Amino acid sequence: MPNPLGEIIPLLELLGTEINILPAIGGAVEELSHPDQEEIEDATIDKGESTITEFAELPEPDPSNIYRSTPILSRKQKHLFRFFIDGSIRTYFLGTGIEANRSFPIELSQIGAAVVSREDDGQPKILLHRSKVLLLLPRQNQGISDTLWEELRKLPKPENFEIVDFTLPDPLSDVKSEPRDKAGAKGRAEMHRLEIDLIKATDDYRNNDSWLILDGSVRFIEQEIWDYWREKESPYVIGVAKSFRKDLYFQFSKRMSSRRKDITALLAGLPYAHRTAVFNSDSNRIGFWYVRIREQKEVDYPLMGVVKVEIPRPKMELIPSDLADLISSCLIAERNVTPYGLDRRWHCSLYPIYIAEQVIKNRFYSKEVLMGCIKWPRTKRGGNI
Amino acid sequence: MRELENTQKIGKTSATERDPNTSDKFMFWLTPRVIVNPFDIVEVEQVSHEGKSKTYGLVTTLEHRTDSPTHLANFISSNFGELTEEPNTPRQGTTIAHVNVLSNDEEIYMPVPSEKIVKFADEEGIQKALGIDTMDPKDRIPAGLIKMSNGVSAVAYVDRRYILGPESAHINISGISGLATKTSYAMFLIQSILQKTPPEEKSKIAVILLNVKHGDLLMIDQRRDKDFTVEEMEMWEKLELEPKPFDSDIVHYYLPKSHQLGRPNSFIEPNFYKIYAYDLDSCADKLDLLFAQVPDTYFTLESIISEIKEGIRNNEQDFKNVRSWDNLLNGPPLFDPKSGKAISDWRGIRGSSIGVFRRHMRRMVKTNHSGIFVNSRASREESLSEEFLKIKGGHVYVVDIAKLYEHEQMLVFGDLLKTTYSLKAEPPEDREEPVPEKIIFFVDELNKYAPARERTSPLTDLVLEIAERGRSLGVILISAQQFMSAVHPRVTGNCATKVIGKSGSAEIMEPDYRFLENEIKSNITRLTKGELLLSHAVYRQPVKIVFPRPTFKQQEF
Repeated sequence: MPNPLGEIIPLLELLGTEINILPAIGGAVEELSHPDQEEIEDATIDKGESTITEFAELPEPDPSNIYRSTPILSRKQKHLFRFFIDGSIRTYFLGTGIEANRSFPIELSQIGAAVVSREDDGQPKILLHRSKVLLLLPRQNQGISDTLWEELRKLPKPENFEIVDFTLPDPLSDVKSEPRDKAGAKGRAEMHRLEIDLIKATDDYRNNDSWLILDGSVRFIEQEIWDYWREKESPYVIGVAKSFRKDLYFQFSKRMSSRRKDITALLAGLPYAHRTAVFNSDSNRIGFWYVRIREQKEVDYPLMGVVKVEIPRPKMELIPSDLADLISSCLIAERNVTPYGLDRRWHCSLYPIYIAEQVIKNRFYSKEVLMGCIKWPRTKRGGNI
Repeated sequence: MRELENTQKIGKTSATERDPNTSDKFMFWLTPRVIVNPFDIVEVEQVSHEGKSKTYGLVTTLEHRTDSPTHLANFISSNFGELTEEPNTPRQGTTIAHVNVLSNDEEIYMPVPSEKIVKFADEEGIQKALGIDTMDPKDRIPAGLIKMSNGVSAVAYVDRRYILGPESAHINISGISGLATKTSYAMFLIQSILQKTPPEEKSKIAVILLNVKHGDLLMIDQRRDKDFTVEEMEMWEKLELEPKPFDSDIVHYYLPKSHQLGRPNSFIEPNFYKIYAYDLDSCADKLDLLFAQVPDTYFTLESIISEIKEGIRNNEQDFKNVRSWDNLLNGPPLFDPKSGKAISDWRGIRGSSIGVFRRHMRRMVKTNHSGIFVNSRASREESLSEEFLKIKGGHVYVVDIAKLYEHEQMLVFGDLLKTTYSLKAEPPEDREEPVPEKIIFFVDELNKYAPARERTSPLTDLVLEIAERGRSLGVILISAQQFMSAVHPRVTGNCATKVIGKSGSAEIMEPDYRFLENEIKSNITRLTKGELLLSHAVYRQPVKIVFPRPTFKQQEF
């Protein structure tokens, strides 16, 4: 069986002959992702919003009581969530490239996204899956020359392969200073783009009774989609984050007597099968709230068993309480099955999202396949440094 | 057609890091809502030098795997043990079938690649898988039906050359299936052999059946009372056999004499039969068989028996007047009637040993016998050895030993074996008719006659002789018992065809079942009545078969 990535060998050979490469130990080293990557991203894209001061719910909640009971609503009572999207990434550091007096990391990412639909009987089906292999290189004054970039660009490449300049701006990589971190963040940004692309694939199927859950934040959704949603009644999409930033404060009155609550205090008081009020965020574009999907006695720490729900508000509309209640009630019913023992965030994991993640990861090329095509030409003795 | 093809697709092969596919085994996952059972035969596309080939396999075990790493994860996913919890999305899992490779139609034994479509084999495929397609059609004997989970059935043919020789021979049937399953199967197979033998060949096969239980085989010429069901008729039709009892003009019944004058000692009296009995004359050369169960550590009894056998055969002076059991027990040379005492020493054998012999002899032929021992046979009382030296091809002989004492059963069985063997090895000079080319011998409860003991008895030696050398002479043993482990391993080891019914897990762990793989063994404990596992020399793996119920009348309980 030929190597499925065999087509990129000429490209890597060109790279190997045109620049000096110090290969990573063993040919490639997997970049381990931070365990709370979602939390870091939440803080990154929320930058500047450290205190939440407004509700985005109708009728406006009473600041003295911002918890609402949302009793569990099983699929048999209301099958609200029909589509689930997740993305996954695996990044390898291949080596350090040296061209002229510039040195830079060469990274390779496999990114994938999948949308899983759920049938009436609860059985999940893969509706769509996409994946890409990205060669992440810096360009211009930080990395490879324009000449080599052009040469690389002209070479034939497999359909699912892209060379990406990780110095191009995006919200995730902009905040990184280390080139390897920047490359990794660029890979994640590309993964989110892939996820967002899949949302479009469900446009015709989503409606009032058929919602989509996106794993993580909806803030990555591109402007073009926001514009499209503005013409629609509702996007019928929520983002559910298992990890979220823990440095937020909540204050809903300007009076000095009004207490400022941090997120730990807010969620510690949130009972099981309850949600918080819907808060305003991202300049009125997003409403978000928290739902406790597991009893506190079942978990080790008060913030466990809580998910953050984000809902896009393309028309900056307030979210009706009934809708937030319905979404929360249905979300609590998603808490089982749980990937206990496989994911340390099992307490707030949604099983269909976990399945989507497995679909993607199981379709990634193995390290052996990658290594089969990464063979740099032997460097000159002593090098050109 | 396309629909049928689609319904046959049942999954895809799956090879993983931990569970690779090999030349001998492969695995596949099942598409939801498909039902597959152990012993189903499946086919997968495989490479070939030209075009494609097909690899056939036998499903041995099925397992359900989920993505749950532990049972605790399942407990937690059921909301910490709530029995009523029903998750929105059911836990994902699949059933994995483990398959033993049977064959490849292009003789390619590369491991089956992953991700290949797996289908149920059709009838032709099943026969290719087992190697039946390589059998000469005239050598094919239907041995039962293979029934697959998708409703497809195929005839399991066995090769005549491996049943009746010359390639190999003998069949052994074991299991605790009960209610005459083993006997019924043996009878079905014998019927199948006879029906599928051309008439000119049929007249060269004689069958000897030992009736060891009730009246099981004493009405084999009579049609059973219960009508054949549609399913049974379909089965017979599929097997291309005629559902009929044995023709009465070829069946002969031999029943043992009873204590009652002129009456047989049998559970059932067939419409026609002969009575057999043993006088000293017809039994003298088989006395050792009578003593098969008597411990004889120092071979003293064997010495006495040898002296008596030789004395009577050579009409020695000492034995001139020994013509009956009474003469032997109460007269010279073993007893002095004048003094009324046993002799103190005879041909170097001490009187006490002679006393032991006489005591056992008296017990067996005088005080504790069923009536078959007579001082002199009446004209209607046949000698089995004389009768069986005259057996003819194309005939079936049933010898009833069901009501006999164990020592008598040993004598009769041994007598028949010895006679049959000598008939084939040294046919009587005065015999005018040709000796049957094949003599099929069926006996149940073989463990009695050839037990798995290190030390053998004269009877066990006879059975071993038949098992090991019978094939070359044309004596074919079809034997049955509950536990194969209870039979001498050299007997079962020489059976090229083994049939196993439901058996206990302790039994199948015995070394006698080494020829079965562990996955197959575990299925034996689940076989139901009427289901048997057939291991035949031509087949690469044993298969599960069903067979029709007997066509002849059986004693009802």
